[in-house]
Amino acid sequence: MSTAVAPDASAQPVTDNRRRRPAAPAGTAPAASRGSRWLAWIFLAPTILGMGLFTLLPIVASIALAFFRWDIISAPQFAGVANFVDVAGDPTVRIAFGNTIGFVAVAVVLQLGVALGLALLVQERLPNWLRVFFRSAFFFPLILSAASVSIFMKYLFNEQFGVVNWLLGTVGIPAVPWLTTPVGSASVVILVYVWQNFGFSFLLFLGALSSIPQETYEAAALDGATGWRKHVHVTLPLISPTTLVASVMAIINALQVFDQPYVLTRGGPGDSTRTAVMVIFETAFQRLEFGKASAIGVVLMLLIMAVTALQFRLSKRFVFYQ
Amino acid sequence: MVDSTVRLREISRRSALGALGLGILGATAASWPRLTGTDIPGRNDGSLSIAILGTAADAAARQKAVDAFRRLHPEIKVRVQGIQAVDWKDFFSKILTMVAAGNPPDVVYVATEGAQLFAEKLAHPLDEYLRRDAAAMQEYFADVHPSLVEAFMYRGSLYQLPMDWNAANMYYNTKVFAAAGLGRPADDWTQQDFRAALAALRKANPGGFTPYYWTNRLFGGVVPWLYANGTSFLTEQRASGGDWLWDRFYAKDPSRSARSGGYLWEAPNAADPKVFETFDFLRGLVQDGLGVRPEEGGGNSLVGLFASGRIGTTPAGGYWVQGLHSAGMGASDFDVQFFPRWATQRHQFGTAGYAIMKTAKDKDAAWEWIKFSASREAMELVFSTPTTTPARRSMVNEALYAGKGPAHWKVFYDTLDRFPTTGPIPAPPQQAAVETALIKNVSLAVSGDERQLKSALATLQQDLELALRRAA
Repeated sequence: MSTAVAPDASAQPVTDNRRRRPAAPAGTAPAASRGSRWLAWIFLAPTILGMGLFTLLPIVASIALAFFRWDIISAPQFAGVANFVDVAGDPTVRIAFGNTIGFVAVAVVLQLGVALGLALLVQERLPNWLRVFFRSAFFFPLILSAASVSIFMKYLFNEQFGVVNWLLGTVGIPAVPWLTTPVGSASVVILVYVWQNFGFSFLLFLGALSSIPQETYEAAALDGATGWRKHVHVTLPLISPTTLVASVMAIINALQVFDQPYVLTRGGPGDSTRTAVMVIFETAFQRLEFGKASAIGVVLMLLIMAVTALQFRLSKRFVFYQ
Repeated sequence: MVDSTVRLREISRRSALGALGLGILGATAASWPRLTGTDIPGRNDGSLSIAILGTAADAAARQKAVDAFRRLHPEIKVRVQGIQAVDWKDFFSKILTMVAAGNPPDVVYVATEGAQLFAEKLAHPLDEYLRRDAAAMQEYFADVHPSLVEAFMYRGSLYQLPMDWNAANMYYNTKVFAAAGLGRPADDWTQQDFRAALAALRKANPGGFTPYYWTNRLFGGVVPWLYANGTSFLTEQRASGGDWLWDRFYAKDPSRSARSGGYLWEAPNAADPKVFETFDFLRGLVQDGLGVRPEEGGGNSLVGLFASGRIGTTPAGGYWVQGLHSAGMGASDFDVQFFPRWATQRHQFGTAGYAIMKTAKDKDAAWEWIKFSASREAMELVFSTPTTTPARRSMVNEALYAGKGPAHWKVFYDTLDRFPTTGPIPAPPQQAAVETALIKNVSLAVSGDERQLKSALATLQQDLELALRRAA
């Protein structure tokens, strides 16, 4: 029996060289330990560097920039909290945040609902080989560029020449102004977003469903739980940890929605599909108010943190860990 | 025995990991020029860096002009960089990002939309160079309409030389017109004549057809109609100054006295009753099924739809000819006419040219490039097909449109001559915010009832006030 697979330290034979090394003096590490620590830092370095340079530093810089006026061309000027006051008084920012919250409420419910429904369908009704097919098919939209998908969808939903209205016309439904009315454009943005993003939640749910033991369902059936009651009282509680993860990720992503409304509607008509991240982009790169854009970014970050914290707090009541 | 096996295994593992780490470091060091972009030809070797809106293929298409320039100035290395963008606004955002990254180009091809932003913040005036090389530049200005030049004047200084331009004329599908019993519209057709033509087109093509397709953007959207009705969504004033240029190059031009130090758009004008009247006219077209509700940022599929006979009319400039030809339209399948008359027949145009960045390392070299690009030789190399309208009048000729149409190609340059008040796209230094304010309210303004129109225009007025109040 190899020493390398000993299940616990007490079972290791005395021939283990690590055991026979003399103890290092207090306050110093043995050479091998120092080497291992070095090696650990080397392996951690790319991640630490990457996180530091591309995540932590931009966050800190963005928070700092929120207190300056900067147009990219001239030198930044300290502005105190003026940018935050400006953000609070800007009606477009208020509308954009309202739109974003409304979008999250509808899109996330749809995304999770569609993903769970399809996962149940695929898990319960389809043979294994078809499951594999649908796993890939539903995930596929996620790997496509959101901008490309949105351009394509823009053609499909064109009022005059789009395929969608042509199909509706074949059954006598008049052309719908999908992208030129507030309700129509919001519907298309949500539809395209959900279509492209539900695949990830679907995979999470499918994994969770496949890990539920069959015996649990058999026991529930013996107790008289069938059909919907089975799912409500057995499936949903057992996959609640996955639901928490899926909803946290879905909400964080949806709060940052940009590509679909930017390409499909440019935030219009009016401000009806303008989102928080769109306003950040427009404020920074079109109006050259980088300080104010950073302030909006800070507000959005705080909103995401608050929503996520609330979710985890609520999860203590609704999430069931086996 | 076991002990030595373990030691060997540990040494071997560590060696492998160490070698892997060294390998990664080595690979990183070897690819450092690629990672930092220093291996890009022309970067950091003193080349004149020129940014244009387009792809790498568009940049390569200018190689003939670059080669010709190098024959004249072998001491100046040139690197043309195509920057892909959805529109000019997007292009300017990318240039600003390059500025912020400390890697600005030396020369940028800037359209009217960004002319005042660059003049105010980024560009170096050409005045000293034009005074110095006035004799050499005389021939250029003699061939270019002063309206185009005036569009690049800003507070008395000239920042760019127009290379190409386009007015919002009205294209129409001749076959579709003929099928509806319509002939070529008169040169001075009115907005009511236009509406009557659309009604005839609609009657002849009840379904799956759009008599008038228009886009929601600064060029070719609502603005040409506002200009035709003698108004605009911004107040328009002229700056003083610029006499040094007009007196030197356009002293004998009939419009000399009307020339200024450049346009100023400093206040919103959406509350003007004529603006309401114009929007109401367009709202009527949409309500009666004669025109589309314009999508924001739309127009990508326009050439194909027009070529397939599913659109009757649309506003566009000379840049459309090559696209229609490539889409299979014959020279007589389409034609172009002036924009309809309303209170006036003032047209809208946009132009483009090179601007020298304030940060340019060698401004003299940059000027030599601009001077060469304004020459007939360079323009013929760059504008060999009708993908735009050359700024030089002499180049807008029969040969450029031979076999491609339209029959009345003279309309393009005649727009400037026949209607001397024809003006540029209203684009103050805050253009991006102004454009966003305009396009976000246009769809709502023309899509509902009169109350919605009034509400949209009130919002437009407020949005414009906010956009113009902000520092550019």
